Amino acid sequence: MSGRRRLGRWLRPEAMVRVLSFAVVLAAYLLTPVYHDHSLSDFDVFNTLQGFASLGLIALALGLTIIAAEFDVSVLGMQALGGVLAVKAGADSGLLGVLAATAACAFLGAVQGGVIAKLRIQSMSVTIGTYIALLGLTNVIAGNETLTFTNTGAAIWINQTVASFFSPRSLIALGVFALVMLVVGATRIGPELRALGGDRRAGRVAGVPVDRRLTALFAVSGALAGLAGAMLAYSNASASLNPGLGPLVLAAAAAVLGGLSLRGGRGAIWGLLLGALAVALLEQVFTVTALPASSAQIVFGSLLLVVVVVDAPDLRSSLARLQARRASMRQLPHEIKPKAQRS
Amino acid sequence: MTEVVGTPRLELCSLTKSFGAVRAVRGVSLAIAPGEIHGLCGHNGAGKSTLINMLAGNVAADAGEILLDGEPLSFAGPRDAQRAGIATVDQELSLVPTLTVAENIVLGQVGAGFLRHARHARRRAAELLAEVGLEDVDPDTAVDELSIGTRQLVEIARALGREARLLILDEPTATLTEVEIERVFRAVRGVAAQGCAVIFVSHRLGEVLGLCDRVTVMRDGERVLDAHVGELSPDALVEAILGEHLQPAPHRALDPRESTTALTVESLAIPGRLQGFSATLLGGRVYGLAGQVGAGASDVLRALAGLVPAATGRVRLGERRLPLGNAAAISACGVGFVSGDRKAEGLFISRSILENLTVAQLGRIARGGRIGGAAERRRGCELAEAAHVPTERLGEPVGVLSGGNQQKALLGRYLLHSGVEVLLVDEPTRGVDVGGRAAIHELLREAARQGQVVVFASSELDELLELGETIVTMRSGRVIGTYAEGTTREELLSDLTHREGAAA
Repeated sequence: MSGRRRLGRWLRPEAMVRVLSFAVVLAAYLLTPVYHDHSLSDFDVFNTLQGFASLGLIALALGLTIIAAEFDVSVLGMQALGGVLAVKAGADSGLLGVLAATAACAFLGAVQGGVIAKLRIQSMSVTIGTYIALLGLTNVIAGNETLTFTNTGAAIWINQTVASFFSPRSLIALGVFALVMLVVGATRIGPELRALGGDRRAGRVAGVPVDRRLTALFAVSGALAGLAGAMLAYSNASASLNPGLGPLVLAAAAAVLGGLSLRGGRGAIWGLLLGALAVALLEQVFTVTALPASSAQIVFGSLLLVVVVVDAPDLRSSLARLQARRASMRQLPHEIKPKAQRS
Repeated sequence: MTEVVGTPRLELCSLTKSFGAVRAVRGVSLAIAPGEIHGLCGHNGAGKSTLINMLAGNVAADAGEILLDGEPLSFAGPRDAQRAGIATVDQELSLVPTLTVAENIVLGQVGAGFLRHARHARRRAAELLAEVGLEDVDPDTAVDELSIGTRQLVEIARALGREARLLILDEPTATLTEVEIERVFRAVRGVAAQGCAVIFVSHRLGEVLGLCDRVTVMRDGERVLDAHVGELSPDALVEAILGEHLQPAPHRALDPRESTTALTVESLAIPGRLQGFSATLLGGRVYGLAGQVGAGASDVLRALAGLVPAATGRVRLGERRLPLGNAAAISACGVGFVSGDRKAEGLFISRSILENLTVAQLGRIARGGRIGGAAERRRGCELAEAAHVPTERLGEPVGVLSGGNQQKALLGRYLLHSGVEVLLVDEPTRGVDVGGRAAIHELLREAARQGQVVVFASSELDELLELGETIVTMRSGRVIGTYAEGTTREELLSDLTHREGAAA
């Protein structure tokens, strides 16, 4: 009984939306040879995954906080700081640079999370402050100049092709996704994370150590963003001092396409993965078709809009009501039909 | 206290707690034996909640000691209380709506292990659900798909599953129906029989006397009574709670004014919830709709208020046809609705009492399109006086008021000829104490005396019998009986619970 029930839940529109939007994007990607003079090659797949590697970890960092009904804007600052730290500390050993960047961002994230948990303040406002401060800190550390990564060995290693499609960078991103998926799926962290977002007070009453979980959540989010920044800096062989708002917008788009609710409490990591892959695919489609940036923005925006509308609970319930109404009128033909009460 | 033989399960020694200048709990001592079901009664604001919060680890005591099985307790949070063996069912619903029933039952359990065992959790959840009579609830259901009453039962099931030494139930029955309450009682008696001590907080005195072994009454932060239920009469209990003798309400002493208002309802229906409800409801009378959750009583009110878009049927107020499904238009026709969930659907909880009182009458107080100033204040005072809300507190956020005063403030919106001809009230006294309850009933009678049609839905039989002049019983979305000339508890109960084939 519960098996069928679970299947039924999968087939609901809000659950289907992430799979469908991914499928649509994938189809658009696979069909590029049809509508555009371009044949897909291994390199296209490789490129898509490189895009995913840049975007995915930021989307994961942001997405985890969204599930907990928070919104970590500081991932942008963490990304910039991680890049600069990695380039500075990784001049001799690439691994050391990545570890330093990840650890420093995890620490800053933990401090930030602790403040948010203890003072019970909205993370959006705190993390906007942190984001700006981190950009400043990044500039100070870098001496206001774009830093060039001198460790060419590490830069070449991280971008090399593995098994035609992958690079160490995209493999690490996918691996981190798998790890987070495992932890969220198989341990009590998953329900507790959704409890933070679904009803925090109720979670506290039930015995969830809310403050500790929030602190850890922002530490993880910081670490993921720092790692993403470090790998991106290696890959570009330079650390940019300001990533702009682009990565945050793309990450939020991935979260929406991946079926996360911005009100928190809902969402799965596999959905987030699909969302991030969909955004990466879409970017690749725009690249190979050489679509003008303005048109690409319109297509992208429209897709998001469609997803959000299909996912809207009010629309769904009003559809259900309409159906119920029709059904009741069929059953009771003798009854006087009520006039249309609303246009 | 001398009756406790051996080490009491729970002992409170001169427990004291102040919030600023307010001394919420003043030197309360208490002893509860293992297996004892102990009732805790008192006004809102008497200090019960603070006491419970100290036991649940949410609030630290200023002075005094809590001993559990003779061991002094001190804890920093709900998790410590859980570790000590104290399980609490909070006054507010404390399930996470986006998780499943099974996930909620294991959520936050100390010592449950880091890895999830979904199958084990589901099986355990099913066992616990069966204990509270929810055999038919699938543990994989998302909690936000359940009714409020069912959620409350799930929460009680979770507390039972914590295998506690002390179980605290803070108004667990406020949202439940008679049948559900009986299930909860059975489960509570079951855990008590296994030696668990139970603290049962309720405003429903009949329940306290029916379930508990002993009762403690608190007033103004102090313990004013601690007695065996056998030695207590309901009147003595009420007197201890109020600190004065309650004047019996003039029963059905309504002298309706000539009222021409009439609400005519023809075959009101909601697919799957309500079938063919028809009635003519007259101004100057109080109508009670009796029904358990899901029986359709609340649905009638919500449909009449225009909150159910799928509702069909014909409703006329005087000569005017009410556009079902259009809440704004119905409200403009003079229909006021007071939801059973006043925090979510009634009050603007963080806004002032004044704003909450005047919000439905803004047209009256606006001067050239502006609101605020003396006109708003004057109207607010009039409404507060009519609703018996303390006028000196008008500027405070409505959320700081007790449940009873909140409900009065909400009703106040529709008083004093504000153009409201029909007053629909769902569960008028949910979470309201004895004193507040009498005052709210009087307000509704007064509204009827002013010529309004007053219709309320309640799952509480005593309330229906006290307040309803005409009582309509409902079950499974259908009207079972209509009693215009008075009825008895037994009659109502049999209407509400009768099952086909069961002996009457």
